[in-house]
Amino acid sequence: MAYKVIEGLYYTKSDEWVKVEDDIATVGITDYAQDKLGDIVYLEQAKPGTKVKVDERVITIESVKAASDINAPVSGAIIEVNDKVVSDPSIINKDPYGAGWLFKIKMENMEEMKDLIDANSYQDYRKE
Amino acid sequence: MQTPIRIIEKSRPMRYIPLTEEEKGKILKEIGVSSFEELICAIPEEIRVKNDLNLPQAVCEEELLEKVYNIAKKNANFFEMKPLVGAGAYRHYVPEVVKSVMARSEFYTAYTPYQPEVSQGTLQTMFEVQTHLSRLTGMDVVVPSLYDGASATAEAVLMAMRLTHKNKIMLGALLHPHYKETIKTYTAPHDVEIMEIPFENYLTDINELERNLDDNVACVIIQNPNFLGGIERMKAISDVVHKKQALMIETVTESLSLAILTSGRENGIDMFTGEAQSFGMELNFGGPYNGFLATKNEFIRQLPGRIAGETVDIEGKRAFVMTLRAREQDIKREKATSNICTNHALNLFAIDAYLSLMGKEGLYELALLNAKSAHYLREGLISTGRFNGFAYPFFNEFVIKAKDPVEKVSEKLLQNSLIPPLRLSELFPSMENALLFAVTEIFSREDLDRIIDIFKEGV
Amino acid sequence: MKLIYERSVKGRKGYSLPPDEFEEINICDMIPEYAISKEKKNLPEVSEVDVVRHFTNLSRLNYGVDTGFYPLGSCTMKYNPKINEKLSTLDSFMYAHPCSDTKLVQGSLEVMYELEQYLKEITGMERFALSPSAGAHGELTGVLIMRKYFEDKGEKRHKMIIPDSAHGTNPASSAMAGFEVVEVRSNGRGTIDIEHLSSLMDEDTAGIMITNPNTVGLFEEEILSICKIIHDKGGLVYYDGANLNALLGIVRPADTGVDIVHLNLHKTFSTPHGGGGPGAGAVGVKKHLEEFLPAPLVSECNGVYCFEFPRKSIGRMRAFSGNFPVLLKAYAWILSVGREGLRNVSQASIINANYILARLKPYYRPSYDRFCMHECVLTGRDYKEYGVKTLDIAKRLMDYGFHPPTIYFPHFAPFAQETMMVEPTESESKDTIDEFIDTMIKITEEAKEFPDILRSAPHNTPVRRLDEARAARVPILKLEEK
Repeated sequence: MAYKVIEGLYYTKSDEWVKVEDDIATVGITDYAQDKLGDIVYLEQAKPGTKVKVDERVITIESVKAASDINAPVSGAIIEVNDKVVSDPSIINKDPYGAGWLFKIKMENMEEMKDLIDANSYQDYRKE
Repeated sequence: MQTPIRIIEKSRPMRYIPLTEEEKGKILKEIGVSSFEELICAIPEEIRVKNDLNLPQAVCEEELLEKVYNIAKKNANFFEMKPLVGAGAYRHYVPEVVKSVMARSEFYTAYTPYQPEVSQGTLQTMFEVQTHLSRLTGMDVVVPSLYDGASATAEAVLMAMRLTHKNKIMLGALLHPHYKETIKTYTAPHDVEIMEIPFENYLTDINELERNLDDNVACVIIQNPNFLGGIERMKAISDVVHKKQALMIETVTESLSLAILTSGRENGIDMFTGEAQSFGMELNFGGPYNGFLATKNEFIRQLPGRIAGETVDIEGKRAFVMTLRAREQDIKREKATSNICTNHALNLFAIDAYLSLMGKEGLYELALLNAKSAHYLREGLISTGRFNGFAYPFFNEFVIKAKDPVEKVSEKLLQNSLIPPLRLSELFPSMENALLFAVTEIFSREDLDRIIDIFKEGV
Repeated sequence: MKLIYERSVKGRKGYSLPPDEFEEINICDMIPEYAISKEKKNLPEVSEVDVVRHFTNLSRLNYGVDTGFYPLGSCTMKYNPKINEKLSTLDSFMYAHPCSDTKLVQGSLEVMYELEQYLKEITGMERFALSPSAGAHGELTGVLIMRKYFEDKGEKRHKMIIPDSAHGTNPASSAMAGFEVVEVRSNGRGTIDIEHLSSLMDEDTAGIMITNPNTVGLFEEEILSICKIIHDKGGLVYYDGANLNALLGIVRPADTGVDIVHLNLHKTFSTPHGGGGPGAGAVGVKKHLEEFLPAPLVSECNGVYCFEFPRKSIGRMRAFSGNFPVLLKAYAWILSVGREGLRNVSQASIINANYILARLKPYYRPSYDRFCMHECVLTGRDYKEYGVKTLDIAKRLMDYGFHPPTIYFPHFAPFAQETMMVEPTESESKDTIDEFIDTMIKITEEAKEFPDILRSAPHNTPVRRLDEARAARVPILKLEEK
């Protein structure tokens, strides 16, 4: 089964995607991740203003039979969170790369982008 | 020539293992091995059992029955000997319907309802008990089955520490001593400070509570009715507790009192824990009973243990399923809210059947009858002139002080086929010669008169 | 089916109470007004026959060992002897109050004492506490003992090693006892990676929690080396007895070098699982840990039994001394099976599991292609290409009258995905097992030809597949009062 991967985004091996615009990184989970989790039922959002370090847990997403930590792909401050996914977590399943985005980080070190992988590499990494 | 009959060591056929020798041979052949030993070749020789275990030979069912029956006779005849002791375990009459429900093997030979399509009996019962206990405690949500009241209360304390990120806990001095010990065992690894709130005149000393409460307190745990039977001023206590943003945990060991007493909602309780043994469970020498933990909606993600929720199947039919599962150990492992897996679920059938039979009116009438019986016995005992009473409000358990040595009082009761009340001096050194009586509906007025008469004659 | 509340009719009664022969007393004369609820608690009002039919009908929606084959891996769903149910309801046991003077409960204490002697013999441990209520409760007891042992020695050890294949209760119990969990990997054979273990074990680590046979149904053949690695650094080995059904009369856990064990009496020792409990999680230790056991223990002195409170006990794990009827049923089962029977139990359970493995491995590639102990782990990974998951296979099994195996556990390695853990136990006949195997094979044909039938299964159960996401997104956890 082929999972959807979007060109132009960056990815992590823990299945987050990152869209970088200037120094703002928008973060969500990949199509692969939402499929593995199954029906997402609950998450508690991060508090805007929170400082996060790369690879640090930001939030936990719960599905019917799993729970998965979402880590910060880059360091910085959370500047905006998507509250719509809190009231209706199924949005993440339906549109993981769009309306199902999770939070935005104002990056403090652009160098960290080097550790992210591109769409092709991610697709290879998650080929079943 | 006839084959001589070989005498082999008599080994009794094992009725619980259907596999015959012939089938065993066939199966081993199919697996592709010549002996059982080949299957366990991974086990190093040096750790295998070499000799027979030193255990008895198998007994047949009839021998077993006789053997166990003879051991049972070494106990007192507890059916006839009614207990005047409660202290966290109460003998109430259990209707036969409850027992016949518990005896249905579709319930007791199942396990945790992991497959809801073939477990609706268990799941609906969980949901019904959640509803009963929610109505009785006045709390939003109930985890219906933890091991017992003590461990449920310990879980509530851990939950309060997670919710508040504080590590000081205050226990009412009149919390059941075994509950206190269990809380201490459970919290020992977590760098806690435990403080006891003193009591005065058999009730929690609210002034002392207020004086000692500070901003580091995660929760305050008060048993109601307390260990000495006293009915606490829960609203007043919880108002004090909330001034310092601590969580108020109420605990009940005699759940029958819930039929009469004000609910958690009325008193501003944050977590309500308890022992539901009074709802259809026999004493059974201390267990299995059934602990529960109830709380407000806002805390549900921190609850330990299993909970059933309503949903629909693909045809739109109402059905029940274990839910909020992402709190649990099989999913969250070390980040789970608790390690609990197996609980005391079978007792939920007892609770559901019992509370359904008793119903709104019956449970209230029964609670009233318990209160009346206990008050009647207390008055009667005092009237013999051999006991001093204390004025404090109680439900069906009370403290009374004997003028005679308590050993003699106990002896006298035993001679009259009664299990004596609890002697309090071991737990509370200041209460010399004090006895904790429990009276339930199993004593008729005539029984109680007979007990009073025993003491009229002198000890 | 209707909820009991939906059968409620005002004024209907299901109870009979003794006559109230006391004078008319106002409730306010007994209980202060501030403590009396303004309204009666709103329980249902139904008749006795309503209750009987309600539960009879509910029971028909359930599946138990008495209904049919229940190969739930790691749960040991064996037959629960009927005689044991009767024994546990003998009056003198059933009505015994836990606060009775011990001279009145010599029979109950004798059962507990004798059971302890048997468990000691079966496991080789020195002393048992019978109070823990379940497996996980036993685990918590065990790791608290470890903690107390190091505290007593003046050592601070804050880590616990747990295999990646362990049950979730192991890491959860360790965390409850304040340990940081460190995961040790499995090797390509499905057992603990010894080199990885060596690199993890140090003097900050309390020890390891190990299940043997492990959750993949394999015997940890390097158990002696594992124990040595832990002991060399002063650590302790905890043995999770969830899978002891494979070892009765074959291996005594104590001889493998472990320091603490817990036994699930509701698994190996045949006591019923009760729809999720009660069980009992007896905890056994070797000599050096005896004084830390939870209170109370049962001991004997000149033929008189009493309770004992160990000197450095971790304390109480619950209010009273244990789930007595469960202990009694385990005791009765050991007597019924006897010393030769115990080995036959494990032998039959191992033979049955290997038979299933041998016949089903061409259809459901196992995680590890080796002989198994009392349970085998198969996978449904070859049917994903038809759009069929292990979940669908499990649901389809119900249509054919079987309880599904444990699914999606273990799930720690790429080849341990889409798993099915099948534990037949010794209770099943070859005929039943053959029917199960044939059905499993038939389902593989369906998966290829009519995958939709599987994806929409089950079809003839009391309810069909549930919307579990809905239950979790907007939880309805009780019937609201009107």
